[in-house]
Amino acid sequence: MVRLLLRFTEEQVPQPIASQIIIEYKIPMAILSAHINSKGGEILAEIPDEAQEKIIKAFRKRGVTVTVPKLIEVDAEKCFSCGSCVALCPVEAISIDKDSTVQFDKEKCVGSTCSVCVDACPARAIKSVKQNTEQPASNRKKQS
Amino acid sequence: MSKPTKTRSVEEINEKIRKGDVQVLTADEMKKLVESSGVEVAFKEVDVVTTGTFGAMCSSGAVVNLGHSDPPIKIEHAWMNDVEVCHPGAAVDLFIGATNMSEKQPFEYGGGHVIQDLVSGKEVELRATAYGTDCYPRTQLKTTLTKDDLNQFYLLNFRNCYQRYNCAVNTSDETIYTYMSKLLPRLRNATFSGAGELNPLMNDPDYETIGMGTRIFLGGGQGYVIGEGTQHSPKNLNGTLMVKGNAKKMSPEFLQGAAFTRYGTSLYVGLGVPIPILNEGLAKKTAIRDSEIITDVVDYSVPRRDRPKLRQVSYKELKSGSITINDKKVRVSSLSSIKMAKKVSQTLKSWIEEGTFFLTSPVERLPLDSVFKPMRQTEEIPFVMSVMHPAVTCTENEEIRAIAERIVTKSVNHIVVVDDAGKLKGIVTSWDVTRAMAEGKKALADIETRNVVTAQPEEPLEIASKRMAQHSISALPVVDIEKKVLGIVTSEDVSKLLGR
Repeated sequence: MVRLLLRFTEEQVPQPIASQIIIEYKIPMAILSAHINSKGGEILAEIPDEAQEKIIKAFRKRGVTVTVPKLIEVDAEKCFSCGSCVALCPVEAISIDKDSTVQFDKEKCVGSTCSVCVDACPARAIKSVKQNTEQPASNRKKQS
Repeated sequence: MSKPTKTRSVEEINEKIRKGDVQVLTADEMKKLVESSGVEVAFKEVDVVTTGTFGAMCSSGAVVNLGHSDPPIKIEHAWMNDVEVCHPGAAVDLFIGATNMSEKQPFEYGGGHVIQDLVSGKEVELRATAYGTDCYPRTQLKTTLTKDDLNQFYLLNFRNCYQRYNCAVNTSDETIYTYMSKLLPRLRNATFSGAGELNPLMNDPDYETIGMGTRIFLGGGQGYVIGEGTQHSPKNLNGTLMVKGNAKKMSPEFLQGAAFTRYGTSLYVGLGVPIPILNEGLAKKTAIRDSEIITDVVDYSVPRRDRPKLRQVSYKELKSGSITINDKKVRVSSLSSIKMAKKVSQTLKSWIEEGTFFLTSPVERLPLDSVFKPMRQTEEIPFVMSVMHPAVTCTENEEIRAIAERIVTKSVNHIVVVDDAGKLKGIVTSWDVTRAMAEGKKALADIETRNVVTAQPEEPLEIASKRMAQHSISALPVVDIEKKVLGIVTSEDVSKLLGR
């Protein structure tokens, strides 16, 4: 599965873009988080790997900004494994291993649209990463 | 053959350290040994058990002496990296309190970070002002300093090493930010603090070997217990320590500045105490397990001194990652680092084995009977329960017309919508009703507000009043923990009492 961050503008909000694409391409899409109001917003969606290229294309064709998000960055130097973040994570992406060390599972993390852990870190070791510049690998290839 | 000895002394242990044949186990290892081989064998084989804890300890700080400037200054106010530091003594002695916050980056950088930066060898900016005297004429000062420039740099913590601590939860509808970190609404998470079975005081709960003069691991260096900590409350297993140590020899790994969102800054302190196994009783005590250490689950959404306790829980359950409260599974995380606590106990063990750390006997034991009293207050403050009055209510199937009549006959502005059991469902204001009339709406369901901001009877009125202002509303239904409506408090009640 691959995660896409879809950013909608004010004009795009009233349009049923996501549902049109789901119907047209017959792909299952899981909405992991959504923050949208009349002024625009973001959806973090998960789709099957093989559909990645055509789905990204379809959203972009309709003017939606698509990025493959890098989610959070953890500064291993700063983290002293207190574990304050563990129980806060809604998708159980943070755990404590046998050596009492806090582990982050970047596959599970839903990133900047959640960020519940960020302000709970007393060491300020967790940063949510802005996705503005990130592009999916497949897209980068074509541009070069 | 002579009978095996039933006691050993600190002097005997130190002699073994000198000879390099001392037997040291960490608290972790000792528990396993007692479990597998019993107390008698453990006593025979083990001389010292090392303990450890690594948690946010707000009542921490450092005393520094700057030396005299030329011309000299008698500091009145001083800041280090924009964190105000206090001047408890003469001209150039300062105390860096861990919770004092930077004036430029409040809640993110504070005294704890200043201490960590100094310990790391970083340069710190000092600013000071003074009123000027004949002997100390200078009134302004600005310079940079490292720990090497300081005459004394002593960690001086008046309350460290809490024997055990509460588990914190939040039953309210809003996220709260506390010194127990971020607590999500409606019991969506829990936090706890303390190392449990690794905690120094838990391994010697009668303070047989810990007292004034006990040499300890402190912040990666050596320090001393200088007596009971503030709020020391041994009778209910809430003992604390007052400690000091030379911070110049400490390490930033074991002294880390911390920031708690909307609470403030603090200092994580690594502290470990070696427990000499002087008798079989101590061998048994150091075998204590997390399952035997019980603490309270406390509801931090009630902003009072005595917060409701929802249940009791063992550290074993707390460390398992989830606990059950009111039949609900609640995920729980630690605020102190168990990983670092273990590292403290391991480091202390290696120091003793290497012969660089010797044990001391306390010159005075910690008190076993002191009591932590609440504050004597000469002024009473008002609570929600002191001003709330019965709410005028309606049910969801009533017509707007009936509600309008009730507003008039009872001369109120707020009608609380309840179900048959008296539980809160919503609220309607006179304005909602007026607008409904104008727009020709008939059903209550079309106009009632369902996401209701509420108050609890035990809350200080001040806090309820702030909540009204925050949400720009003029009344709060008062509810109990099950959302049963007990009454209502309005902004008029507040202004009558608080005069605003």
